[in-house]
Amino acid sequence: MIEILKLGWHTTIQDLGRLGSQSFGVPISGAMDLNAFQWANKLLNNNSSAACLEMTSKGPELKFHEPSFIALTGAIMPAFLNSKTVKMYKPIEVKKGDVLKFSSVTLGCRTYLAILGGFQSEKVLGSRSQYKGVTQEDRIVKENLLLFNRNAFTPKGAGVKTITTDYKDVNLKVYQGPEYHLLNSHSQNEFKTKQFTISPSNNRMGYRLNEKILQQLPEIWTAPTLPGTVQLTPDGTLIILMRDAQVTGGYPRILQLSDNALNLLAQKSTKDVVKFDLITPQE
Amino acid sequence: MHPRVILLEWEQDPSPETLKELIHFKANILKYSMGVSQITQGYCSLLVQWKEDIINYSDTKKDLIALYSNLNINSTSAKTKHWTLPVCYEGEFALDLEHLSSELKLSKDTIIELHSKTIYTVCFIGFLPGFLYLDGLDSKLFFPRKKNPRLVIPKGAVAIGGKQTGIYPNESPGGWHIIGNTPISLFNTKNETPCFATSGDTLSFYAVDEAEYQKIRCIKNPKAYLTKVK
Repeated sequence: MIEILKLGWHTTIQDLGRLGSQSFGVPISGAMDLNAFQWANKLLNNNSSAACLEMTSKGPELKFHEPSFIALTGAIMPAFLNSKTVKMYKPIEVKKGDVLKFSSVTLGCRTYLAILGGFQSEKVLGSRSQYKGVTQEDRIVKENLLLFNRNAFTPKGAGVKTITTDYKDVNLKVYQGPEYHLLNSHSQNEFKTKQFTISPSNNRMGYRLNEKILQQLPEIWTAPTLPGTVQLTPDGTLIILMRDAQVTGGYPRILQLSDNALNLLAQKSTKDVVKFDLITPQE
Repeated sequence: MHPRVILLEWEQDPSPETLKELIHFKANILKYSMGVSQITQGYCSLLVQWKEDIINYSDTKKDLIALYSNLNINSTSAKTKHWTLPVCYEGEFALDLEHLSSELKLSKDTIIELHSKTIYTVCFIGFLPGFLYLDGLDSKLFFPRKKNPRLVIPKGAVAIGGKQTGIYPNESPGGWHIIGNTPISLFNTKNETPCFATSGDTLSFYAVDEAEYQKIRCIKNPKAYLTKVK
């Protein structure tokens, strides 16, 4: 088990999410950057759905009460094991009594911490992903210990991996959304040429963008949405829905992010700039 | 759209017939289509999501069309249930009832009567875990949402917003006018299915006083207060 000595900025337990409960109105949730999440588990030869910590901006201070192996992926967040720098994208052996600390991210937004065998927190509707109203807590809290399977095998054949995603890339590959055709050519052109800035209102539910689209579209009959759906609100604000977003919405759905774009956006934060790169639709 | 999803849309005009088609088509896709991971429902659409990217889009589309043309919405396969939900329309549970009463120029009792005599249809669940989109609110009770939403609406709040009425399954921000509260949980992950109602079911409300409300709240299995199978 792991004791939380100090909380960081915002840390949650995440796995692949809660697919299949959307007909009860339950968000999918799961790791914001699924690419980095999956690398963290791969480095330890974990099951692909093993739960990890998702640490936003600055991770917590953790004390290990049992030995294990961990791996760090995603945003560059300097990490120190007993004050010694440890490398990301590489299995790290931790001993009983070791203390792991982080400083603030220098590139990206979310870092993943995988542990051998995965974290063993409560599983609700098939997932350990923390979400308000579904799991007991919506983030890790100091009073709770983080449990893991101490009998998991030592990682075999796990290798070092260099980071594959360029977090400085501003281009988000997107598909047309169901209401894209309602936009006039001027607005469509704005999406193709304009740069957009991420507003301070960005979290696991959604990212609002600063620049507005002038064309006003009527609301639609409440319809399904997905993580990565770009909504246009009546005042012209764009909201990109993220993993914890509600499963239906009444705003026109202009664009749909590709998987890679959604993972890339999860590594961006306030004031970062993005551009939409429209993929020609199939058929 | 995303290569893993297909959006199926009906005419943008919700009706009981459309709802029937949505429910039957959804059930049939889940039954007969391979590799579907989930289907999300709206008023006039279904979003079908596959586990992997759709490789042969035109074949998948043909299969769906064939499935749709064989749809029999009068089949008895889908059993719907009727639920009666106790609501306390009194005191601090009915935060906006007074205001609504003066704005709509209807007495509080009339509002309660109009609200509870209707049989509502559960169209689908969305917005929040366990939030039922209900159809059937009496047009005399239509009232625009608040311009400034409340930061906290209590769990169980029964409210009116625009042409809709709904129950807040959990504490959340919201812009609807609160007229009462139900002691029954709309979303509980400890139950076999986290939400008792499902798309196509019907629901009505009945008024209880505060003592009755507290009594029901303390009951471990309040389903007896709830079910009335059609």
